[in-house]
Amino acid sequence: MTGEILRQERLDERIHQLVLPSGLTISVLPRPGFTKTYATFAAHYGSIDNAFKVPDETRRVAVPDGIAHFLEHKMFEKADGGDVFDDFGRYGASSNAYTDYTSTTFLFSTTENVEENLEILLDFVQRPYFTEDNVNKEKGIIEQEIRMYLDMPGDRLHSNLMRALYQKNPVRIDVAGSVESIRTISPEDLYLCHRTFYHPSNMQVFVTGGVEAERILDQIVANQAQRPRAFQAPIERIYPEEPIGIAQARIEQEMPVAAPLFMMGYKEERTGFSGSALLRREMVANLMWNALVGHSSEFFSRLYEKGLINDRFQAHYSCGLTFGFSAIGGETPDPKRLEAELVEGLDKIPLTASDLERLKRRELGEYVSLFQNLEELAYVYNQLTFRGTNLFEVPEVIQSIRLEDIEGFRKDHLRAAARAVSVIFPKKVGT
Amino acid sequence: MDKTGQGFVGQFHNGEGWYCYPTQQFKTILIQAFWVNPLKAETASRAAIIPHILRRACHQWPTTVAMERRLEDLYGASFRAEVGKVGDQQMLSFQFEAVNGKFLPEHPDMLQQGIDFLREVLYRPLIADQNFDRDIFDQEKEILGRQIQALINDKGQYALNRLVATMAQGQGFGINRLGTLEATRNLSLDGLHEYYEEIRNSRPMVWFVVGDVDPEAVKRVFDHDPAMGRTRAALPSIPRFVAKNQGKVVVERQAVQQGKVNLGYFTGITAQDQDYPALVMYAGILGGFPHSKLFIHVREEASLAYYCYARLDGALGLMVIGAGIEFDDYDAATAIIHQQVDLMRQGEISDEEMAFTLSALSNEIMAESDSPSQIIGRQLEHLLVGGGLSGRDLIDALGRVTREDIQRVATKVSLDTTYFLTSDHNDSQPGEGGHAK
Repeated sequence: MTGEILRQERLDERIHQLVLPSGLTISVLPRPGFTKTYATFAAHYGSIDNAFKVPDETRRVAVPDGIAHFLEHKMFEKADGGDVFDDFGRYGASSNAYTDYTSTTFLFSTTENVEENLEILLDFVQRPYFTEDNVNKEKGIIEQEIRMYLDMPGDRLHSNLMRALYQKNPVRIDVAGSVESIRTISPEDLYLCHRTFYHPSNMQVFVTGGVEAERILDQIVANQAQRPRAFQAPIERIYPEEPIGIAQARIEQEMPVAAPLFMMGYKEERTGFSGSALLRREMVANLMWNALVGHSSEFFSRLYEKGLINDRFQAHYSCGLTFGFSAIGGETPDPKRLEAELVEGLDKIPLTASDLERLKRRELGEYVSLFQNLEELAYVYNQLTFRGTNLFEVPEVIQSIRLEDIEGFRKDHLRAAARAVSVIFPKKVGT
Repeated sequence: MDKTGQGFVGQFHNGEGWYCYPTQQFKTILIQAFWVNPLKAETASRAAIIPHILRRACHQWPTTVAMERRLEDLYGASFRAEVGKVGDQQMLSFQFEAVNGKFLPEHPDMLQQGIDFLREVLYRPLIADQNFDRDIFDQEKEILGRQIQALINDKGQYALNRLVATMAQGQGFGINRLGTLEATRNLSLDGLHEYYEEIRNSRPMVWFVVGDVDPEAVKRVFDHDPAMGRTRAALPSIPRFVAKNQGKVVVERQAVQQGKVNLGYFTGITAQDQDYPALVMYAGILGGFPHSKLFIHVREEASLAYYCYARLDGALGLMVIGAGIEFDDYDAATAIIHQQVDLMRQGEISDEEMAFTLSALSNEIMAESDSPSQIIGRQLEHLLVGGGLSGRDLIDALGRVTREDIQRVATKVSLDTTYFLTSDHNDSQPGEGGHAK
């Protein structure tokens, strides 16, 4: 077991960290004064991990789209017919789970019985129970979840953009999969994915709130001692090679919305960054977008005053170990003109050192605020850890960014050949 | 300065006041000001555009760029100006949040900076020819109109709004917080500045501060507030919901992939009533949590929905049930919902349901104290509803609720309106399941 305490003196924050022989990473970030305790148990396993080599075998498999999310749903069912929600309910916690491109997270939030609830969390995530029957029943529920997303214009806008940008990378597929793909999921598929990706060496526990670090660490160590697992080497994930260039220049769809929704994306042609380098690239990208089209930019004001955007217009860069992209857009009465203005303006807008200094201040402020929103804190902590870096590096990385970095990234990133557009047009609303 | 039960100190007299919640728990300081305006069809859009205009420019920062840069200089302080609704009251809200100076280089005094910022925005708007800037007005009028039209984009919220509007039948709470598209298109700059002054000077006004601040310092700030010390309207009492529909069913068709069924109920009980804790337990057991009857029977057992919830409006005394379903499952889903509501009337409630719901509600209520905006929201609601329990007192009262109390409350709950948003390609009509029981 190796343990250490990471510190951030200015904020008076520390993270107590421990890695067990099984490979499980445990982190506790006490937030004295908080009534609530928030805990996550997360697997470095998301919707893009749909092909892999089975550990300790030579077999390589491809599994149905949407299976990571399906598996997340199914973990809540127990062998005795009971439901994990009831176990948490008994001890007053509210529990939930979510899946994204690269991770699956189980969580609870409680103001009492921390020990009992933590025990439930640690146990249920490592205790799968799937039958033909209970798997089939879940298909109806997830189908309704998928249909709910199909009616969300913002969700469609993003999903279509991903299909336009990417030719092969599975980020082009919706996290929940499709109504058709989930119908083919079997209990065997689920057991295989659970065995592979929910191995402790591919997971981490994060606990924050009004807790004592030592007690939490001791409890988790004792819990895990009941089910000792051998260390598992890193999983060999099989991702198709993403060709240079986008899949298609634009995807348009009609939906019952009031006004068009527009989103333009730029795909990263250079991937493979990890750890601090990836964190730095992400911060550079987001500082660039804030400087170019953030609410304090002249460009934003110009577009707003012309009536082309509203204040929900935004630009954001997202990345993982195998992908990175920017998405810029929002509601607009005139997608064509907005696109033309953006394409015309983005690589010409002057960036100044004083803009950068102001925006760095803002990033720093947002970083400090993160520590009082426990849900978001856990999300960011988990993401950064899976990518091989840690939360406390953020302020130094922000400070180290110079104007040349931003200019360099702009040249590299804003290429016409890496750009695609997604538009939702209004369809006449029935009566 | 008075102490309130829930950790606030402050005062409220003659329609105006301030409350401060000193705590070392948070790394930010949150300051929020509200003007309370009666929600009326004639004025809703006129009032709704005011926060939109004020957040664009003010005397000291006469452009939006200047204002946004000021916020960034304050280490990314956030500022929101928006319109909400509680019962039949329109809430014009102005929120400033920034990192407490003690965590920042040079330790700026964020309480003072935040107050100065908000006062500038609220009290000293950009004025030309004794009115707001015409360009800003025109732009914001256009944006507000589009915002109203865009309410149709979020189908779950849209269905809920339509249900509530149908239930209101002329009662003030049914009016959209932003007013109507028509009223927005008819807005004129003439007299708008006077209307702003009327709201600023005569409507109830309340300020909240949450963070590591000295209440004495906060008091000194508000003792010298340029807008305090006027004759303002007293806080209104919010009229309860009166049921008028007796089981009406409304069906609307759009090109959607999923049906949304929403049912609205009359309860006759609001947050200030003795029976309110029993009603909170009732709604929790029925549909507040994953262990609740609706979630278990509609989702887990019948696989008809991904979500199915029951939610209370404590100011009005109404309850809403909502679910997203397959178009053809309307009868099946509403039959289960009616059956579960009936079981509540018959007192079919297990000890486990009572215990789990109490713990879950207690968890929710306790956790409110970890969120600055929820702390303010609770105190505001307390002021507007004119009393009622919150925090530990509410948890204690929930703990005293008996099965008989819940059953008594259950018999008062009656279905008012069913609203179903369905596909324009689906011909099936709601059958028996849509009728009142």
